[in-house]
Amino acid sequence: MRSKTLCFNGTLFRKNLSRYWPLWGLASFGGALFPLAMLVNLLHSGFDFWTPLETTQAYYNVLSYGVPVISIVYAVLCAMAVWNYLYNARSVGLMHTLPIRREGLFVTNVLSGLVMMAIPYAVTGVLIVLVSLLYGGFEPVGVLVTILGVAGESIFFFGLATFCAFIVGNVFMLPALYGLLNFLAVLTDFTMNLLAQGFCFGLNSSYSGTVEWLSPVVYLMQQVQPNSIYQENLVQNSVYAPYSTNVLTEVHLENGWLIAVYAAVGVVLMALAWLMYRRRRSESAGDVVAVGWMKPVFRYGCAAFSAILGGRLLYALFWESFQNGLYFTVLPMILCMIVGGAVGYYAASMLLAKTLRVFRSTWKGMLAVALGCIALCAAMKFDVFGVVRRVPAADSVKQVNLYAADSNYYLTPGQDDALIEEVRALHQAIINDKDHALTAASAASEACTDREVLYTYTTVRFTYTLNSGLKVERQYDLYLTRDRMAQDGSYDNLLDRLINSPEMRQKRIRWQDAGFQMDSAWITTRTGDTDLNSREVETILSAVARDAENGNWGVYDWFDSQNDADHYDMTVHVGYQMENHRYDSIDISVQEGMAETIQALKELGLITDEDLVLNRDAYPWQYSNNGWEEYDQFRNEFGMSPEEYYNRYGDYPAGWFGTEESITDMPEDSHSPSMSAGAASA
Amino acid sequence: MIEVKNVVKTFDGFTALNDATLSVPTGAVYGLVGPNGAGKSTIIRHLTGIFRQDSGTVQLGGEDVWENAALKARIAAIPDDWYYFSTATIRDMMRFYKGFYPQFSTERYEKLKEVFNLDEKRPIRRFSKGMQKQAAFWLALSAMPDYLILDEPVDGLDPVMRRQVWSLMMGDVAERGTTVLVSSHNLRELEDVCDHVGIMDHGHVLLERSLAQLQDNMVKMQVVFPDGVNEVPADLPVLHASRIGRVHTLIMRMNAEEATERLMAYSPLLADAVPLTLEEIFIYELGGADYAVKDIVL
Repeated sequence: MRSKTLCFNGTLFRKNLSRYWPLWGLASFGGALFPLAMLVNLLHSGFDFWTPLETTQAYYNVLSYGVPVISIVYAVLCAMAVWNYLYNARSVGLMHTLPIRREGLFVTNVLSGLVMMAIPYAVTGVLIVLVSLLYGGFEPVGVLVTILGVAGESIFFFGLATFCAFIVGNVFMLPALYGLLNFLAVLTDFTMNLLAQGFCFGLNSSYSGTVEWLSPVVYLMQQVQPNSIYQENLVQNSVYAPYSTNVLTEVHLENGWLIAVYAAVGVVLMALAWLMYRRRRSESAGDVVAVGWMKPVFRYGCAAFSAILGGRLLYALFWESFQNGLYFTVLPMILCMIVGGAVGYYAASMLLAKTLRVFRSTWKGMLAVALGCIALCAAMKFDVFGVVRRVPAADSVKQVNLYAADSNYYLTPGQDDALIEEVRALHQAIINDKDHALTAASAASEACTDREVLYTYTTVRFTYTLNSGLKVERQYDLYLTRDRMAQDGSYDNLLDRLINSPEMRQKRIRWQDAGFQMDSAWITTRTGDTDLNSREVETILSAVARDAENGNWGVYDWFDSQNDADHYDMTVHVGYQMENHRYDSIDISVQEGMAETIQALKELGLITDEDLVLNRDAYPWQYSNNGWEEYDQFRNEFGMSPEEYYNRYGDYPAGWFGTEESITDMPEDSHSPSMSAGAASA
Repeated sequence: MIEVKNVVKTFDGFTALNDATLSVPTGAVYGLVGPNGAGKSTIIRHLTGIFRQDSGTVQLGGEDVWENAALKARIAAIPDDWYYFSTATIRDMMRFYKGFYPQFSTERYEKLKEVFNLDEKRPIRRFSKGMQKQAAFWLALSAMPDYLILDEPVDGLDPVMRRQVWSLMMGDVAERGTTVLVSSHNLRELEDVCDHVGIMDHGHVLLERSLAQLQDNMVKMQVVFPDGVNEVPADLPVLHASRIGRVHTLIMRMNAEEATERLMAYSPLLADAVPLTLEEIFIYELGGADYAVKDIVL
């Protein structure tokens, strides 16, 4: 007689749900608190709440930032609940004695786990919809997209947890492996960069993000985001001056399709888990790793991470102070890595064998670990993979980002081909002059207190986004001298020519660049901050562009970039939103001679002549040789700071902060620094 | 019929079952005996479908056990360490078993309630080991199995309950033709209930016979040789010999008639055949397999 239970068993399903009700019950209770809090706020605000579009935006925000974090934790708890029988010889004995095939157990447990995942979301979702119906904020499309998103992420994370469940044989290893797999790519990226930047000239990033998509939570949170479109409305009012407000007009879930891709991956992972279950040996219950082929992966993976992280730590503890120059000394580093690798290798071997007596039987593997450490260090030291020498070909990039002179420059092939070639030439010159760059950097770091205007120290970063989507990023800390800046072909010279070229000065403003969408803007003057609307920003930036064209703005003085004595106490900040939810900004410090900009600001009513106070007049102590001593004397004498005095009386008392002779003389050939563009790519 | 043929099972290089072969006729009560680590529990886990053999066949009623849900529905197993859900009561476990075993009889479950006299609403974890074993029997017998596979089943049961449980199982064997395979170290008990016995050692079934055959195949002779014969004659096929005064006790692998006949050649003053217990058979058979009781003086 065939068993009535084949692919699904209702008894087991009900048993799973009834056994683990505290898990999904508690999660449901926690979820239900949010709609209840919404309801309380609603009652408090007299049912004046969000519009349907704003409600949808809130759903998408939760889907983007909340659900991945909740799901990653909750999925592994559900997986631990339904698969924990695999990790105990007694329970696996009972379950595998029952008259049900493994596919029946698998399907039933997977469905139980998914239902356990769905219940809290369903409870929370239904309550939220009910509350939103109350205040008229219900928007069916947003709800549907959110439901699909939650379902997709739940399937993915539960699929991943299930996949992990069949690799391990111990319940404590399941969350450990699951956590590791979720962040393995990020961890590997970080680890390899940590080692590589100690060997390779130009590698300075501790994280490249190249394989971020293998870290689902990180990638989903980065990529799947609500894209809200606002319309700027100018409000005319008889009481106040006209002001602009932003009204939400559209909300989309950007890259929502990625959730579907991850959900499909989750299904594939579950299928792989099923294949592993078919072959799983019940006797593996209690083992650290239950799958034979994973044992060497676990052993050597532990050894590799331990070699790099532990080796780096040991090197920092015992050798870094003896290190010559900026990069690792190879032999001590190899030794530290071998010691670190041995710790990881033998720890993993002990866990796998469940005994401490592993030294005699595993020495060959340890030899392989040691050889691996030597090979890795040698490969990095001698640049076997050409990492240091690499300058991507112009036709292989889809965007070049240069960070130099405190500003980001974004260059696109087809529009900025000549500039890209100049950037590549600069990059190549730095690589060719590596020995000089390293020696000079060391010398500069040793003599950094002996500052003269003959040399300076600057950071240049090249980021090439390749056509494949991968990024090549190099960063150099360069020592620039006036002598070399005058020599054709030196990297000092190429850098100065490039950054101070008229094209690059215009690039700094990002004006009329399609890749930049204004996000926020304001002007800071002596009297405070004033928000700027897009029309005002447009007017100001076009004026700055004309000033740049006339040579009154944008020339960067490498040797006196911090001197802002001839700047007004006034900054225009413009924040931009770029592709892929990256952000960038510029701060334009208005200086003497920027006639077009000052005129535009006056016409917009943002400043008056009273705001045109130069820093050297407002803060003279900052620019004189004994200025800070005089500052302290002033405070003692007048019982207030010089700023307070100046703001109150519009000038300083006679005899104090004498201007002409006390202000630092500006070098004759210096270009007037006109701005510092604080650029932070998010 | 339960048939295990040439089964090999290794765990990380350790061979737990080494070409193990056994056969249990339908309706038989088969005692599987052997020293600790002989492979009894391993072979039982193959018979219940928990383990999959590396090679060989494990069949019940001519069907492979592995992933055979229909066949497993006719098997009830009580392992040495029976698993129950941590918060479950007997009634919870009854519902659980009922959901899997199509032949599960609620009627029998209710009848057995009187036999076992356990509080079915009390969490099983609060029961003593013996009471938990009773609960396992209660549920296993209610599943109305055609095959009962038991690993050290009566450990922890008091003598009265042991007799009660055996009586229930014997009743099933007699009435329903249930085939029982039981592994135990309690040879005295097995002797009373088993009609077939298999002896395992080092993952191999050394021998299996009906109990009658087994007892007929080995004999214990008490012999007094005539004056002048102080030692056991070398040409006698003796498995084990001991002597108290003039009385020699000889264990011989033959039946009583043949042994008496062989001894008559030496004109003994006394030659009596004494039946062997299962325990003695076990000890002397395994003595030949290098598993003798060692005379160690500490």
